[in-house]
Amino acid sequence: MTTNNTHSRTLSPAPALIQCRRLTKTYKKGDNTITPLQELDLDVPAGDFLALMGPSGSGKTTLLNLIAGIDRPSGGNLIIGGTDIATLSRSKLADWRSTHVGYVFQLYNLVPVLTAYENVELPLLLHSMSARERHQKVSTALELVGIADRHDHYPRQLSGGQEQRVAIARAIVTDPTIIVGDEPTGDLDQESAQAIMNLMTRLCEDLGKTLIIVTHDAKSAAYAKRTLHLEKGRLVEAADLAARRESTVPQPV
Amino acid sequence: MRLLPFDYAVRNLGRSPSRLFLSVAGAAMVVLLILVAGGFVRGMSQALRATGGEHNVILMGAGSEESVERSEIPAATPGVLAASVQGIRTRAGVAYVSPEVHVMLPVTVGTGGMAKPRQVMLRGVSPAAALVHESVSLTEGRWPVAGGGADEVIVGRMAGTVLGVAESDVQVGRAITIDGRPWTIVGRFSAPGTVVEAEVWLPLADAMTATKRDTISCVVVTLDPYNEATGEGAEFADVAAFTKTRPDLELVPMTEREYYGKLASFFGPIKVVAWVTAGLIAVGGLFGGLNTMYAAFASRIRELGTLQAIGYRRLAIVWSMIQESTLATAAGGLIACAVGVFLLDGVAVRFSMGAFGLKIDEAVIGLGLLTGLALGVVGALPPAIRCLKPTIPVALKAV
Ligand SMILES: Nc1ncnc2c1ncn2[C@@H]1O[C@H](COP(=O)(O)OP(=O)(O)O)[C@@H](O)[C@H]1O
Ligand SMILES: [Mg+2]
Repeated sequence: MTTNNTHSRTLSPAPALIQCRRLTKTYKKGDNTITPLQELDLDVPAGDFLALMGPSGSGKTTLLNLIAGIDRPSGGNLIIGGTDIATLSRSKLADWRSTHVGYVFQLYNLVPVLTAYENVELPLLLHSMSARERHQKVSTALELVGIADRHDHYPRQLSGGQEQRVAIARAIVTDPTIIVGDEPTGDLDQESAQAIMNLMTRLCEDLGKTLIIVTHDAKSAAYAKRTLHLEKGRLVEAADLAARRESTVPQPV
Repeated sequence: MRLLPFDYAVRNLGRSPSRLFLSVAGAAMVVLLILVAGGFVRGMSQALRATGGEHNVILMGAGSEESVERSEIPAATPGVLAASVQGIRTRAGVAYVSPEVHVMLPVTVGTGGMAKPRQVMLRGVSPAAALVHESVSLTEGRWPVAGGGADEVIVGRMAGTVLGVAESDVQVGRAITIDGRPWTIVGRFSAPGTVVEAEVWLPLADAMTATKRDTISCVVVTLDPYNEATGEGAEFADVAAFTKTRPDLELVPMTEREYYGKLASFFGPIKVVAWVTAGLIAVGGLFGGLNTMYAAFASRIRELGTLQAIGYRRLAIVWSMIQESTLATAAGGLIACAVGVFLLDGVAVRFSMGAFGLKIDEAVIGLGLLTGLALGVVGALPPAIRCLKPTIPVALKAV
């Protein structure tokens, strides 16, 4: 297994939070079969902050979407917190997402007709709680991302960086098990990207969240605890990675 | 299942004011047409139904039950009936027996004879007509008198509509030309909700002279309701029994209700045409609505994917889309119903039997509102389903 020699595996004897076993995704296009993900094995322990890198089309988004439960594997097992989510029905999977996953998108994907506050409130409406408790959670999340003063602004009234902060608040407000981000800094200027990555780091270090982000940007990846590289649907050996990292990746600022 | 906030559906309507306008106006148009069709059908049916008096029996010549206009019976018949049929209502010694001539003739307004004549139902009547036709009441002027030098008529409230002129052209004192001969309007009458309002009434003798006939069309009698205790009064069956005992009179009785009911069924195909036309237009409107909603939903596929990624089930999202669409069409439906109640109700419509008013009643309004709601649901479902077809990863890639 490619993950056997990563430090996380040796550090935690308990089963990893996320366990991918021979995880495969294929698409049939006529006679052609595309295999974005090929028998991938991966363990992500709780509290990890993992960056996924790799060339375009290497299967990063596919892997992230599978782990986030918005896509379904064609083969293999995907056990998260003891549940094999590949076996859940479509609606059960939706319910599972609402409690276990916070998704941060490259283009923020805030609902334009809702205010910052209402956007963050949206995932909470899927859970039963008092209005007071809901208000508390939304306020806490907005404060955590430093955007409380903009709570009544609509997305069009916010900058990209501010929008992404709101999106992060929306992703963490339900206190999910894992937070995933598909190029969360991909559409931001360098300064905003750094701020967002700092925020992500705090989610991991202060709140103990498990984060997985896909990124093209080595600077962003450097904030993560570890980086994995994908190529043609497979993880690239760690030895190769170390060599590449030494030569190309600048240290985080 | 947890639903999206209602507010989300409401605010989505504001995303494109032009689309909102299209949805509301489109639904309003469709519902308005449904109201016109419904008001037309109900107005016609009710006018014909209401025209029959509850205790009235029409006696006409055997073999012409289809249409009183073709019936001919001797002018002496009313006297025979008054003397022989038990249970005919009498007040102050006057029997409720009304000999009548029913004839459709071309009529023009004024005496110039230039205007295009319109076919109008003329009724030659005796003063007894005022007794048997309870709903008829003189609103202006006086009853016409036969042979009083000038030829006199009274016209119903809808005469203007029937003749295609303003009501001011058929006021008391104005003239109309019947079959080339001038008559003076000496009175106007109303008979709410009945086709009688579209008729022109003239003295029986004048009607017979004008049509060069010595027979009448029918006799309308009013029966006293049968009273078991006193044994007085009569039912339709008694009149029917009488006509059987006097085959020499060659009379066929029919309740006035039944007679106009049959006329109503004669107009059945017209009603079908009205409904089919309205239905086709509704389907056209529905396709327009489908298009509008598809454009609306397709412009936010990525958002639909995001909502699913957050954990909203597709059914919850479809429900929100239906709310959104139905809010717009229901608003259009309400506008149409307001227009219907305030502007369409009572609007006069001409048809071969005369004229009647569109009847926008509770049932028609109910149908209109239902149509508005149905447009919303049916107009949203296919586009909603289509826009939720892509898998979440694909939807998230949409621009
Ligand atoms: N819905 C799909 N149908 C067919 N092929 C797909 C689909 N989604 C992704 N792919 C293919 O899977 C491969 C990996 O895609 P993706 O995971 O998005 O790559 P990355 O995020 O690393 O750029 C690509 O070759 C892409 O074309
Ligand atoms: Mg990608």
